[in-house]
Amino acid sequence: NYNMDNSGKEKEALALIAEADKKRKCSRGFGILFGGSSRKYEEACDMYVRAGNMFKMAKNWSAAGSAFSQAAQLHLQMDNKLDGAINFLDAGNAFKKVDPQEAINCLTQVIEIYTDMGRFTIAAKHHISIAEIYESELLDVNKAISHYEQAADYYKGEESTSAANKCLLKVATYAAQLEQYQKAIDIYEQIGTYAMDSVLLKYGAKDHFFKAALCHFCVDMLNARLSVQRYEEMFPAFSDARECKLVKKLLDAYEEQDVDGFTNAVKDFDTISRLDQWNTTMLLRIKKQIQDEESDLR
Amino acid sequence: MSSDFEAYEQDFGTLTAEITNKIGRIPKLGGEEKTQLVLNVDKQLEEVRELMEQMDLEVREIPIQSRGMYQNRLKSYKGEMEKLEKDFKRSRIAYSDEVRNELLGEDAGSSESQLIKLREERAHLLDNTEKLERSSRRLEAGYQIAVETEQVGQEILANLHTDREKIQRSRDRLRETDANLGKSSRILTGMLRSFTNTPPQLSPIYVSLLSLLSMSLSYLCLSAISPIYVSLLTLLSMSLS
Repeated sequence: NYNMDNSGKEKEALALIAEADKKRKCSRGFGILFGGSSRKYEEACDMYVRAGNMFKMAKNWSAAGSAFSQAAQLHLQMDNKLDGAINFLDAGNAFKKVDPQEAINCLTQVIEIYTDMGRFTIAAKHHISIAEIYESELLDVNKAISHYEQAADYYKGEESTSAANKCLLKVATYAAQLEQYQKAIDIYEQIGTYAMDSVLLKYGAKDHFFKAALCHFCVDMLNARLSVQRYEEMFPAFSDARECKLVKKLLDAYEEQDVDGFTNAVKDFDTISRLDQWNTTMLLRIKKQIQDEESDLR
Repeated sequence: MSSDFEAYEQDFGTLTAEITNKIGRIPKLGGEEKTQLVLNVDKQLEEVRELMEQMDLEVREIPIQSRGMYQNRLKSYKGEMEKLEKDFKRSRIAYSDEVRNELLGEDAGSSESQLIKLREERAHLLDNTEKLERSSRRLEAGYQIAVETEQVGQEILANLHTDREKIQRSRDRLRETDANLGKSSRILTGMLRSFTNTPPQLSPIYVSLLSLLSMSLSYLCLSAISPIYVSLLTLLSMSLS
């Protein structure tokens, strides 16, 4: 019964779209002469939106998305930028479920409109949405990174440091995974220094320094040692952290090319608080370095 | 003659006392001492039997009238002696720890109780070790929970920080909007005042203009106000006044 209802809605929606198309074509002819054309456009927009909602109810996401984007384009023609942006957003959300690429196109247009109007915060939010789509559906990490960076820049411009930091953290995570260690190190150090001064964030600062130290480690052991010393000077509480002790143990194990000592230290740390996926990947890379060096010496 | 009997009685008494004493001691002893004591008791029993015989002869020499009492005593003594002999026999085969000791060596007798003691001690120690292990496991679990709590707290603090920024931004924007709205309402009241001062012929235009303006003002209350609109209002008011 419920399905019947929705398919009925679909038919209604299709009818509405046909009507709206007609209105549009109609008004094009008269548009220059009559002021009433804008009213026709508005009615057509309204119908497109209603049709889009009905498609949503019927779960026909691609049709809903196209209906919304047509409404949005009409709004833009009428110079209703705000309404156009809203409709493009609806279209983007509808397409998210079926066609990620199309969704990204809609969202890009939304961002254009908002940046034109100077509303960078919202534009940044949509950059994040696009980046998330690249992360999860299209699996294009580079593009995701660039969008996150753009979002972080906009947020910084609008003085929302914490939101900017959130984006930068994601950038750093992916950069380190792609072995762009220097970039990741810079970001982590920057965020760590910012965090250790803030009352609310100082308990998370040690985490950031730990990640920075791991990145240093992947590049060069000596760098890691120096940087750990530097962090301890800057932020005394870091030396009490279990993470700091772990890094020191790992440095020693690395110097002595002791794979077992390395594994044991990591295991001890893991029993108390589980290592997350990023940490495990980096530690594994470092461990492989030790093993490779061992086999080279042999 | 009766004094002899009494002397015999006394001897009998002391002997039997000694014998009972020794019989009591026999089961506890072992080896050489035991055989010695057994021979001892044997000899003493012989002496007791001789005494009995002599007492018997004595009683026979007593005249029949007073014999009865002595015969009774003699009977009781005989009973005692038999009892002693029985005890003696029993004591010789009595089983005592001493025998086990002799067979199995010095510590043998305590071996079973020692085993039991050892087993108890072992169970005790295992209990203690288990308790220690349980406590250390609990401590570790507690530590883990503390670390997790710290992580959760840190996340919450980071969220609070973001929310704080959002709220601050919204508050600033709201203040700006409020200021703009105040300005526009002031301008409108100014326009109203100037409207009441103008000649009545042009009034319908002003009425329609004012109504349009107030409607759009209320519409803008719901969306963001742009300063352009405010400047338009000022221009209009200046042109009207």
